[in-house]
Amino acid sequence: MSAFAIETEGLTRVYRNRWANTELRAVDDVSLQVPEGSTFGLLGANGAGKTTFVKMLLSSVHPTSGTARIFGRNSSEATSRQSVGYLPENHRFPTYMTGWGMLDFYGALSGMDSATRRRKIPELLTLVGLDERAWNTRLGKYSKGMLQRVGLGQAMIHAPRLLVLDEPSDGVDPVGRKQIRDVLQGLEQQGVTIFLNSHLLAEVELFCHDVAIIQKGKLSLAGSVKELTSSGGYRVTAFEVPEALISELATSAKAHSVEHNLLDLLFNTREQANAAVDKLRASACEIESLGATRSTLEEVFIRTISEKKA
Amino acid sequence: MTGTSFNATLALIRDTFREAFARRIFWGFFGCCSALLLFLIFILRVDVVQGALATVSIFGNSLPSANVENLVEQTQSVIAMVLYFAGMALSVFASAGLVSAVFEPGRIELLLSKPVSRTHLLLGRYAGNVAVVAANILYLVVCSWIIFGIKTGVWGAGFLISSLCTIFVFSVLLAVIVLVGVIWDSAAVAIMVTFAIMIITPILAQKATIERLLSSEWSRDVVRVLYYTLPKISEISVIIRHLILNQPVESWMPVWSTALFGVGVLSLGIWRFNKRSF
Repeated sequence: MSAFAIETEGLTRVYRNRWANTELRAVDDVSLQVPEGSTFGLLGANGAGKTTFVKMLLSSVHPTSGTARIFGRNSSEATSRQSVGYLPENHRFPTYMTGWGMLDFYGALSGMDSATRRRKIPELLTLVGLDERAWNTRLGKYSKGMLQRVGLGQAMIHAPRLLVLDEPSDGVDPVGRKQIRDVLQGLEQQGVTIFLNSHLLAEVELFCHDVAIIQKGKLSLAGSVKELTSSGGYRVTAFEVPEALISELATSAKAHSVEHNLLDLLFNTREQANAAVDKLRASACEIESLGATRSTLEEVFIRTISEKKA
Repeated sequence: MTGTSFNATLALIRDTFREAFARRIFWGFFGCCSALLLFLIFILRVDVVQGALATVSIFGNSLPSANVENLVEQTQSVIAMVLYFAGMALSVFASAGLVSAVFEPGRIELLLSKPVSRTHLLLGRYAGNVAVVAANILYLVVCSWIIFGIKTGVWGAGFLISSLCTIFVFSVLLAVIVLVGVIWDSAAVAIMVTFAIMIITPILAQKATIERLLSSEWSRDVVRVLYYTLPKISEISVIIRHLILNQPVESWMPVWSTALFGVGVLSLGIWRFNKRSF
C-alpha cells in the first residue's frame, strides 16, 4: 500500500496544433507527492495547468508522458478511482436531476448498492447544508451555491479516501464557505486526503497544510504552508529610542519606521534581531514586541510568480 | 457482470430514461403511439362472422370485405412500415441529443472520474438509449397486436418479430450517432450523417440497376463496397413485410451484414472514446 494518496512522475501533457505547427505544454514534467491524510492546495494563475493536472489525475485527459498514481494504482485504471471523490470546476450537472437523484446516480456509478445510497443521501444532503425542501427540486432551479453544496455531496457519497475539489466554494456565500470548510475539516480528522484547487489563497492558507504552485505547466514551489510563510523575517518594536541608536540599528535592518515614538525594525535574521535587542536594552529602551513575521500565502504566491517571470 | 458493475449499468440506463422524460422525447413518442392505439381501439371496427369478415369500418364508413387474416396482416405491415421509416427518423432525431449531451464539458469529467471504465459508460448510455426507443416501439406493437387479436382473433407472431427488427436497425443507426458524437460532439452532425445513410442505402439497394447504368468497373466496385458495407435498411423493411405476411424470407444477408456494420461502428466509437481527452 502506497503512503501517498497522489504520486505523479514527470507528468506531461502537450497540446499540438499540427496545422499551425505549434505546441502548448499545459503540464510539463510535474512530479508531485501528496501524502495520505494531508490537506493539499494546488495554486497557480489562470491557465497555469492546474485543471489539466487534475484531469490527468482523474483520467479524463490522457498524459503525453509520465505517470499518475492514486494510492499506488495507475490512475488510468478505473478501479483506482474507487477511492476518489471529485468536484469539478465549471461543472454542468444535469438539470433534470434532483439533488437526491444526483447523489443516487453518482453513488450507483461509484458502486454503492441502493440500500446504502438511501441511507447516506439524506445524511449527506443535510451535512452539506441543503434544505430538505430542495432535495427533490430539480438542479435547474438551484442557485450556484446550492449546486456547489450538492456537488460536494456527490463527491462524498461513497466515503472516498481522497477528495479532489476544484474551486469548492465558488459562488458560495461566506457563511456557506465556513460551513463547507467545517465539513472538510471533519473529513480531514477522519483521515481523508483533501486535494484543493483554488484561486482563493486565503482559503487555501486557512485550510491546507501543504501547497504547490504551478506556473506555465511547471511545478515552481512545493512545501508546507507553515514553512513557506515563515520566511518573512523578524520584527522588533521599541519605545522612545534615541535618534543616534535608530540610525545605528537602521544600518542592519532591512526596513524601519518611527511612528508616535514607536520604532519598528524588520530584520532578515534572528541574529540581527537579537543584536538589536541587546543594543536597545543597553540603552534602557523599552521593547514593545519581538517576533518572527510571517508572509501570507498570497505574498509567497506573488513572489514565486514574479521570480519565475523575471 | 458483478453487482457493482450491474448497479452502474442500471444507473446509466435509468439516467437516460430520466433525461428522455425531461426532454419530453419519451412522452412525445408515447403520445404518438397512444394516439395510434386509440385510433385502432375506437375508430377501426371489425365484425367477424364465422371466421370471415362481415364488415370493416373506419370512421363509420364500411370498407370492402376481405379475408380477416389478410386484412389484419396488411394493416399490421402498414403500421410496421410507418414505424420503421417515420418512427426510425424521429428516434434518430431524438437520440442524437441524448448521446452528445454526455460529452458536454463539465459533465463528462465527472462521469469519467467515477470507477467505471469508459467502455462501460458508453455502452450503458447506448443501452439506455436503445431501451427508451424499444420501450415505445414495443408499447405500440404489443398493444396494437393485442387489439387486433381481440378484435379479429388473428394472433400471428410476425408483427411482434417485426418490432425486434425495427429495434435492431435503430440500434445500428444509434451506433453511427455514437461514433459521430464521440468524434465531433455534435448532435446536428450526427443527425446529418445518419440521415444520409438512411437516404443512401435505399438507393444502393437498387444495386443491379445502378451497376447497369455505370460504365466503368471501378465505379461499380465503389457501389458494391458501399452496398455491402452500409446497413441494408431498405432490404430489412422487405424482410419485415415478409415476416408479417407469413412469406418466406429469401436471404438473411441484409440482417447479418447490417449487424456487422453496427458492431464495427460501435467498436470504433468505443475505441475513439477511450483514446479521447476531455
